[in-house]
Amino acid sequence: MRLGRGALVGGLALLLLLSAGALACGSSGLGFGEGGGLAWLRLPRVLAALAAGGALGIGGATQQGLFRNPLADPGLTGVFGGALLGLALMLGFAPAFAWGHAWALPAAAFGGALGVSSLLVVIGRDGPPHRLLLTGLGLNAFAAAGTLLIANLAPESRELLLNGSFGDWLGMASPELIVRPALLCLLAGGLLWTLARPLDLLALGEEAAQAAGCDLRRLRRRAILLTALAAAAATCLVGQMAFVGLLAPHLARALFGPRHRWVLPVSALLGALLLLLADTAGRAAIPGTPLSAAAVMALLGAPLFIWIARRSHG
Amino acid sequence: MDDATLRLERVAFEVAGHRLLDGVGGTMWPGEQVALVGANGAGKTTLLRAVAGLLPTTTGVLSATGLDPRTASPADSARRRVYAPQHPDCAWNPTVAELGELAAQPAAWLHWSERLALTDLAARPLATLSGGERKAAHLALSFATLTEPYGALLLLDEPTAALDRRRQEIVHQAVRAFAQAGATVLVATHDADWASSFPRVLALEEGRVIADGPPATVFNAELVRAIWGGPAP
Repeated sequence: MRLGRGALVGGLALLLLLSAGALACGSSGLGFGEGGGLAWLRLPRVLAALAAGGALGIGGATQQGLFRNPLADPGLTGVFGGALLGLALMLGFAPAFAWGHAWALPAAAFGGALGVSSLLVVIGRDGPPHRLLLTGLGLNAFAAAGTLLIANLAPESRELLLNGSFGDWLGMASPELIVRPALLCLLAGGLLWTLARPLDLLALGEEAAQAAGCDLRRLRRRAILLTALAAAAATCLVGQMAFVGLLAPHLARALFGPRHRWVLPVSALLGALLLLLADTAGRAAIPGTPLSAAAVMALLGAPLFIWIARRSHG
Repeated sequence: MDDATLRLERVAFEVAGHRLLDGVGGTMWPGEQVALVGANGAGKTTLLRAVAGLLPTTTGVLSATGLDPRTASPADSARRRVYAPQHPDCAWNPTVAELGELAAQPAAWLHWSERLALTDLAARPLATLSGGERKAAHLALSFATLTEPYGALLLLDEPTAALDRRRQEIVHQAVRAFAQAGATVLVATHDADWASSFPRVLALEEGRVIADGPPATVFNAELVRAIWGGPAP
């Protein structure tokens, strides 16, 4: 049985409820603090998790639709790695420029993400599903090595970049830092939703989609640009984060069916929900010892990834 | 400018030094039904793909519904041309009803899904259907994308392969109905009996047109032996 519009509204209500819960949860315990002081402090972090999770979810759904590959996830295929490498290059070689210009870091992340996305298309598009994944894993490893190298060469940015590699940037969310990436997440997500119809046609195969009127080149160009934008903006908010973009579309398809007019928005909703839950659980599970959202997501996502890989191979 | 739905002159296509289409020519008019026959590898599918605009490096003169499919935008080409591939595919395993939601004409989808006996299968995911049922679902989707049959072009690649007799007959009727409504229907088929029921047959061999005309003149013993290895239909 497929869910419909009512369930989507229910999901939004659940997200609001969980957001309120996340504002009340912290490593120091439960509560909003005197006059809601703690909640105001946590609000940027919660908003960053929602925006990044939404962008990761819809970005993952788009990449899976574009490559017709259930294993595609910008976190696993190196797009986040590319975004982080772009940030590392900017922070490592032009830190004064990076912190002095509001759009410098999002632009650097976008450049890195776009570079990896383009390579992924050129090298890994055709062929069996595992080729795309292996290409992405290779690009991811290369980008991670580049980021670590720059972190070693630039001691003042070292800790920041290492935290980003572990998806641990939500803790430093502040209104000034999150506003631009969060707006970019919204923009990318909204524009990605407009690709629902061509992605549905692409499910029929490249030739059938083209014969049915889908302009494949235009679709690829827009999907890659916008997925890179979503990944770059999300990386600016949380650092490198795998599995949200894998898990959310799978859940969306299982609950709402494969039509992208549902899969894309529901993936955004579920991505926001998952990242918020992971971040809140990481903060609250072991008092005084916060765990990064990326670590919690990996605990949840890695077994699922193995299950999907086994199923798609069979 | 003429009213031909399809005009081909010296159409050629090669890949890796192999010439798959070699000087193909022919003109097809509104309301014509043409069977495209030939042995495996004769170039039937390649010709349909070229006409559908899927092989942009095809050379020669190629005009389908007044457009050059190599340069026209996919959306413009698809407005008056339907291409049903031999082996349709769909990722994500939708149900039959979800596949039908892709149809440009929902009422036409209901009509064709009913005629092709898919109504009772509406809630079934495609992966749970037989090969013939899946093929019928994709055919219903193809038929339901056509807004106005007159002057349109239907390119059907082995549409009855894998279908049971009842569904085969529905497809035969559909081809006749589309042609009567003014569409040009070009059908690649290995079904000798069906091909011989078409008013016009185009026979290919090694990418070249070796015969073009009514079945009575096209189906000589030599051609039939080359294609089907048996007596004339």
